Amino acid sequence: MNLEKVIFAFFIILALSVNTGFFISGLVAPDSLQAIELALSIIVSLICTVLKFGDRTQFGSTVLASSLVVDLLLIAAAILWGVASHSGAGINHAQTATILSLAGGALVANFLSVVLLIIETSQLRR
Amino acid sequence: MANIFFLVLRRIRLPLILLITVYSVATIGMTLIPGVTPDGETWHMGFFHAFYFVSFMGTTIGFGEIPYEFTDMQRSWVLLCIYTSVISWLYGIGSLLRLVQDETFLHAVSRRNFQYSITKIDTPFYIICGYGETGEMINRGLCNLGIQTVVIDLESERISSLELDNFLTPPIALTADITDPNNLIYAGINRPQCKGVIAVTNNDHTNLKVAVASKLVNARVKVINRSEIEDEAKNMASFGTDVIINPYLTFAHRLKQLTTKPKLYRIQNWFINQYSAETISEELEEQGLPKGRWIICGYGRLGKAILELLNEHVESITIITPDPIASRAPDNTIVGRGTEAETLQEAGIENAEVIIAASDDDANNLSTVMTAKQLKPDITCIARANKEANNLLFSHADCQYVMRSSSVVANEALTTISRPLVTKFIKFSSSLTEEETTELANKINAVTGDKEPVTWRLILDAKHSPELVDFIKGAQAITIGQLTHNTRVSRGNCIPLLLLRNGVSRVMPSDDETLRVGDQLLVCGPRGIPLLPQHLQNNIELLDTLVNNNTKYIPLLRWFNRRRNHSKN
Repeated sequence: MNLEKVIFAFFIILALSVNTGFFISGLVAPDSLQAIELALSIIVSLICTVLKFGDRTQFGSTVLASSLVVDLLLIAAAILWGVASHSGAGINHAQTATILSLAGGALVANFLSVVLLIIETSQLRR
Repeated sequence: MANIFFLVLRRIRLPLILLITVYSVATIGMTLIPGVTPDGETWHMGFFHAFYFVSFMGTTIGFGEIPYEFTDMQRSWVLLCIYTSVISWLYGIGSLLRLVQDETFLHAVSRRNFQYSITKIDTPFYIICGYGETGEMINRGLCNLGIQTVVIDLESERISSLELDNFLTPPIALTADITDPNNLIYAGINRPQCKGVIAVTNNDHTNLKVAVASKLVNARVKVINRSEIEDEAKNMASFGTDVIINPYLTFAHRLKQLTTKPKLYRIQNWFINQYSAETISEELEEQGLPKGRWIICGYGRLGKAILELLNEHVESITIITPDPIASRAPDNTIVGRGTEAETLQEAGIENAEVIIAASDDDANNLSTVMTAKQLKPDITCIARANKEANNLLFSHADCQYVMRSSSVVANEALTTISRPLVTKFIKFSSSLTEEETTELANKINAVTGDKEPVTWRLILDAKHSPELVDFIKGAQAITIGQLTHNTRVSRGNCIPLLLLRNGVSRVMPSDDETLRVGDQLLVCGPRGIPLLPQHLQNNIELLDTLVNNNTKYIPLLRWFNRRRNHSKN
């Protein structure tokens, strides 16, 4: 067992879980989006990205690419949210929908990362 | 580039994660801790404000407490965050600075720069393996000719010394182990511009490895090798190494030439050693070596080569060596080092005319020369200088001829690379008779005024001499004599040495020979002034004046005269 691998798998799966949490809470109660959940998703995803830095294998670069996609989408959602909530009028339905759709896109990329992780693990020969 | 980028990313992984963690904990903390507005209401900071505050707090810019004054609870959190963020920033910057000084990183950067320079080369270039005395000479020679070189040596000190020298075309240098074939590929052996590999390390086996690797990786490139051991040389030749230079054999050949055909030696010496002159006294060069009794001190590779080549041409050769059995010396060998008077007297120095100090120890060689001069002041001394720097000592010791193996190899290699026709001339000129040689030497002296001549190659094709080719194609015959001599412009006169036509070379072609397109002509003439064929190769008017004797000055008359000449032909 390799501690580095455990930490990496932990963060990848955590990123998916937190992201899913935010997405579901948004679907269930669009009027009270949880900022803390989005912030956590961004942080975990950033850490995932950094963890995959410097890995030159094909698998490593694909995971790095997908976690970069997650960063991009989630940060875009956060900026949109920040701008909307500080514009005075408050956040409206259309903006909530955009934030949620961005988070949904990130969810797909996160899911892909987990799938890649599982594929890589299954390729290990005992 | 990608490699360096990933290396940097890998190294700053930990500091980055630390920074992200500290910033996110600080930001989330700020949003969770309740504050109080001036109206006395409880409020929670939003993520936007919290991130804004943490950003300027982390970099210790400090714009103050916004949007309202902080409570004591918030202030104690900020206090904690300031220290953690400052420490993580210091750690991050420290890691980056350490990375820049890191050996691995610097190595990656220099490799990257080397590779970049190699891909940027757009002219023909040579790879020189081994930057010792020989490598240095070859490199300087090639650089002065304007040929790009790539230098590889194992020792970084030698490579750094290269950077201090000021070269016309700066060589591209790399510190690497040349026995690794990957380094040859790095150095661009597969690139179409790579013309050849020159292996001149001081280790024969390394040179052999380089030769094998070069021929296997790219059979097209020319491989020029230094080899001091006969077996290795045969090995190299067996897989098609193009040029193998054995300094001892080469020098022994020169000695033979100097003994049997001193005039020819002189001519060849002019042409081979155009890059660095040999250390030889003028008297010896003119008279040649006497054919009487010779003594050789030291029976190593040089001693063996000389004995083998010269045994039949001189009266007798006496060998002095400390260990005749181990070196398999001939029977009448005298045991000793040849540095003391007794041994030299035993070898019969009183009757000897030539003494050769051929051991591999410069101090012993010097001692031999000095002792010999004391015993017999008019003896001709030939010595082997193993280190280039000791050459000075040998000339101070009144040594008539010094063998510097680095310069022997360097001159041979440079001649092969830059002047292929000269190599051909040297090879075929042995067939010249005594009279022909004397005549040629006199001719050269007459043209150059007793100074050293230079050689030049005329290539008759559309690229190098378009006007001359047009002239010949216009059905106007031009002979070698017309091209090289002219009574009206005698300053640029030169002597034809060799004509290469359809791969067949002819030494000393006759003046009446008509030139054809595709020919190559080697000429020699005085140093420092443009030769007649150099003028003629690209000047149709001069050709018209000198070759067709069109003496008119006014353009219209010139033209008319030319037309008339044409119709006559």
